[in-house]
Amino acid sequence: MNFALTPEQEMLRDAARAYLADKVPMAKVRQIMETSEGFDRDVWSETAQMGWHGMAIPEAYGGAGYSFVELGIVLEELGRALTPVPFLSTVVLAAGVVEIAGDREQRAAYLPSFAAGESIGTVALVESDGRWLPDPPEVSAVPAGEGFVLSGTKHHVLDGHVADVIVVLATSPDGPDLFLVPGDAPGLSRAKVVTMDQTRCQASVTLDDVEVPAAARLGAPGSALETLDRLLDRAAVAVAFEQVGGAQRCLEMSVQYAKERYQFGRPIGSFQAIKHMCADMLVEVEAARSAAYYAGWAVTGDEDELRIVAPVAKSYCSDAYFQVAGDTIQVHGGIGFTWEHDAHLYFKRAKTDELLFGGPAEWRAKLADRLGL
Amino acid sequence: MKIAVCAKQIPDPATPYELDPEHHWIVRPDDQILDDTDRYGVEIGLQLAEASEGSVTLFSMSPAGNLQGIRQALAMGADKAVIVSDPALKGSDALVTAKVLARAIQQEGFDLVIAGTESTDGSAGVLPQQLSELLEVPALTFAKAVEHDGDTIRIHRQTPDGYDEVEATLPAVLTVTAGVVEPRYPTFKGIMQAKQKPVEQLTAADLGFDATEVGAAGSAQYVRSVTPVPARQAGEIVEDDGEAYRKILEVLEQAKVV
Repeated sequence: MNFALTPEQEMLRDAARAYLADKVPMAKVRQIMETSEGFDRDVWSETAQMGWHGMAIPEAYGGAGYSFVELGIVLEELGRALTPVPFLSTVVLAAGVVEIAGDREQRAAYLPSFAAGESIGTVALVESDGRWLPDPPEVSAVPAGEGFVLSGTKHHVLDGHVADVIVVLATSPDGPDLFLVPGDAPGLSRAKVVTMDQTRCQASVTLDDVEVPAAARLGAPGSALETLDRLLDRAAVAVAFEQVGGAQRCLEMSVQYAKERYQFGRPIGSFQAIKHMCADMLVEVEAARSAAYYAGWAVTGDEDELRIVAPVAKSYCSDAYFQVAGDTIQVHGGIGFTWEHDAHLYFKRAKTDELLFGGPAEWRAKLADRLGL
Repeated sequence: MKIAVCAKQIPDPATPYELDPEHHWIVRPDDQILDDTDRYGVEIGLQLAEASEGSVTLFSMSPAGNLQGIRQALAMGADKAVIVSDPALKGSDALVTAKVLARAIQQEGFDLVIAGTESTDGSAGVLPQQLSELLEVPALTFAKAVEHDGDTIRIHRQTPDGYDEVEATLPAVLTVTAGVVEPRYPTFKGIMQAKQKPVEQLTAADLGFDATEVGAAGSAQYVRSVTPVPARQAGEIVEDDGEAYRKILEVLEQAKVV
């Protein structure tokens, strides 16, 4: 295993960072987050043209067939720039679930359009009890004719308001099942909800007797929970990469400010209270990065190892990002509390990322289970 | 159309340059990046090549290092690169550099040579004109817009007051200003393909140069002394008596901003 990035991976990171800094600077992020769609279609098609969407999708399905580490590099940059874009939902969740559980027809129908940026996808899991894997799901899938009729409500559906296809977890007579549902299916209604983190949209999706064909079912009948267990591991690693990017940016902002802000005739960074805080932030960021990259390697390299390191990465990076984002506000003092400063945007992303796909305690419990403790 | 693009690898301008104390030459680290001004030339080259089913070859004279800068241009889409890298070339002035590049370009064949107006590290700004003289083709300089039609290349040449329309028949040398086009960002595919693209490395001898003709020995120009940039002076403070905007306008006009 090689721990250093290859020259190509470094170039990818540089290109991604340069693109996002030029095209989606924070002023643009703020503009986009005020729009009803919550993302920018030009940015979306440009990121697709640059090949970001298809990096980890197999070549046979229109992707480039590279590993999760390459994808992670881009996720880190997206997290660093807080780019409002349905990337996690489409590329990690929707493409991931189709790749894990889809048959050849389903893969051929969806993966190429995800890779090309032609469609947006997401998964709809959470219900009224707020858990990421409701067991059993309240949404019902009742056999009707050749297919199924879906009814019920899903919450916290990432980018659900703009998704072209929503993978819905529902209970069928076979058990928990996943169904590919078009975003504009008759009987499906969706509403963007108000989120604390405005840079990542969520929607509530209500299914009112939505008919889907039998071919819309993903994976073997009743196997949704096993599929989702694997998907959430990947999703956790993806979020960990984003968290590392965000935390790194917070650290940089803090160090910069500590050097240029003078108080009592000297930079505030020369005071121990600030200096030690920044040093602790660096330690957190570095440890988080190691965890995320090792987990990223494990997604493609070693699935057994992933079962252990995905929970480690998600729980560690969540705590680290939240800590660092909070300390960033402290280092900045009064300015850090203002709307105009970016610190609050990172703080809010850190808080919602911490809870996304389960909080740190939940992932530690999962880790203990998997270790047989 | 066969397009040659001059692409220079330079030390990252974000870090201060180190000069060798004796000759005042820039100490070139192993990690050099593509000169930002050359990204415009590469982009124009790629657009013209795409429109005419042509090819883009990069030409560079520098210590090859790890070729990071050249790979950046290859990742944008250039087809191949020719690097002239030789310790004997150390200390070459602009004219010697132009001679070396001209021979490399001639050897490869060309319809159009594209360069930036001047490099970010050396800023001599004469090499493209020297190239046109050596290659015996017309020079179209300071282009802020480029049009290509068959054998003719037409540009808007940036002037202090506006622009001139200039055209020439190919083959020619073209220099482009920043802002002529928006350079593309390398795609993931481009980045991954860059490593496989051919990079030909030549020495001065490969191009038929004698060691006395190149490098410091062959150069008429040398750097006599170097003075650090003076520290920035405090700005002028104007008390606003309601008419201060006039003063601001004056300063902006002087700076040719308005």
